[in-house]
Amino acid sequence: MKNWFIQLILILLLSTLAALAVNFGRDGGIALIGNWPSRTAAGEQAEIPPSAQEDDPHFITLDDAVAMYQLPSVIFIDARDPEDYAFGYIHRSINIPFDYLDESWEAIIEKLDKESEYVIYCSGTECESSLFLGRYLKELGFSHLYVFYGGWSEWQANNLPVTANEDLDGGEEL
Amino acid sequence: MKNILSNDYLTMLCRLAFGLIFIFAAIDKIAHPDQFARVVFNYHLVPGSLINLFALILPMSELIAGVCLITGVFYKGARNYLVFLMLIFIVAISVNIFRGINLECGCFSVSSKAKSHGLQLIYRDILMLLPGIVLLISQSRKWMLQKITG
Repeated sequence: MKNWFIQLILILLLSTLAALAVNFGRDGGIALIGNWPSRTAAGEQAEIPPSAQEDDPHFITLDDAVAMYQLPSVIFIDARDPEDYAFGYIHRSINIPFDYLDESWEAIIEKLDKESEYVIYCSGTECESSLFLGRYLKELGFSHLYVFYGGWSEWQANNLPVTANEDLDGGEEL
Repeated sequence: MKNILSNDYLTMLCRLAFGLIFIFAAIDKIAHPDQFARVVFNYHLVPGSLINLFALILPMSELIAGVCLITGVFYKGARNYLVFLMLIFIVAISVNIFRGINLECGCFSVSSKAKSHGLQLIYRDILMLLPGIVLLISQSRKWMLQKITG
């Protein structure tokens, strides 16, 4: 076997051991086998609302939303009305109802970190309040905004984690 | 040509440049493995069950191979690996441009602020591959610890 190939194997072996040791040895290490959507043949484009413009926040697919959901640092924002939110919402999401924005909601928005990543959704492809809220937040200086246009209906239809009242199924753990 | 590229100083400069590129690229990814895993997911090239392992091991291998290249320990193995990696990166970005996916490169930073235009990424990677090509041709073995490791 060629000398360089043995060296390469040693480098990879050492890297694997070091990576595992660092991951186990620190807070916030990740699971070795992640629960990512298994689709690897991409090409699926996120659905885009009819009124979408070029400089709108990025639109993401369900798979992207699931992937981002697994990062504790990503904050999900439910842009629907408080009554809808009270009925059930994507687990860990916060409610900022675009149609009800007033000083009290704006005070909440002011407390949000503009550098964090946010996934915004509303009911589904029949609504655009997620997009409108995304535009509004972008104007305020939020820089990492993603609109999950499939929204609550697509999330729920795929039995993903939700916080819900008793009439709803809570979805599977990720 | 081979004589020019085998110049000791030029070779050392290329080792430093090529090695530091990978060391620098590895640091942010090692610091934020969860975010880098998402970048890997977005490339849609690695099976879901392997994404986290890949996201842990790849940056560490970049760091270690980068250090090996600069110090000259396991020099040929590190050099061939890093050139191979750079070629793989160019292919991965090209595939996603072809698919029309707007991706976060995840090359130097896992932040989504580091979003770049696909073609610019390819030009940049080709530019960064140049010192690696020089090292493939160069016969210089000065200032290396490889005598210790063979």
